[in-house]
Amino acid sequence: MSVAHKLLRALDRVRPAPVAYAHCDIPCGIYDPHHAQLAAHTVIRMVDLIGQLEKPGPNAAPEQKQEYHNKLTRYIATKEQHAEIYKNEIRILYGDYFKPEHLQAFPTLHDTVWKALKAGSKGRQEINPAAAEDMLKLANEIAEAFWKTKNIATYKAKAPYPTARETVYPKLG
Amino acid sequence: MEPSLHPGDYVLVNRWAYRRREPEAGDIVVLKDPGAPGEFLVKRVMSGDRLTGLFVLGDNEAHSRDSRQFGMVPMHLIVGKVRLHTKP
Repeated sequence: MSVAHKLLRALDRVRPAPVAYAHCDIPCGIYDPHHAQLAAHTVIRMVDLIGQLEKPGPNAAPEQKQEYHNKLTRYIATKEQHAEIYKNEIRILYGDYFKPEHLQAFPTLHDTVWKALKAGSKGRQEINPAAAEDMLKLANEIAEAFWKTKNIATYKAKAPYPTARETVYPKLG
Repeated sequence: MEPSLHPGDYVLVNRWAYRRREPEAGDIVVLKDPGAPGEFLVKRVMSGDRLTGLFVLGDNEAHSRDSRQFGMVPMHLIVGKVRLHTKP
């Protein structure tokens, strides 16, 4: 221990200094895989909408072209944003929620998370229906493991959104 | 801020560092937490100036709440520049 540190520690005892937090994740205990699942649904929906968008022909009016570009840009922007939300939510669960004992119970979790993040990147970069489906499938797997760690049973149901994909939900109440 | 700072380190802060000088990228600053009144954070300056405020990041990016979440930090929330830090 340095002299400077001893001196500051002594001063701190006499007149305590305020604490400045470097790591500021408050261990609040509030985690839920639903955000990642929801973001995956959004990416699937945006890929669908992009696919359904009618491309303007060579003789299309400028207004039609403008309308097309406006819609396409908005769908892409939303897809980008929600793919990033997905990746962030997965990272939070992985880095902050899951503990070593959870990994012993779910030894494939490392691999699932790694695949989920890769699918998230691909879903963001490309207009790729398979990657978007993978995002949801992997988020569902993570959700199953998550709820099991809390001893909460899960069930699969079609989501009540236009995407209507099978989604893992906790059995609460 | 690991690996630069660790829990239990002391930091000495110069509250007057930016009265006449512009903050520089790489400076470590103590700031009032924009999201939690009464709390202080310690972060590294990435960019910005006294007029527009500072963009700050934690060194341990994966586990840091910083300007990526709360945006630019106005100067009135900057307490000062870390001049010295000591380890236990």
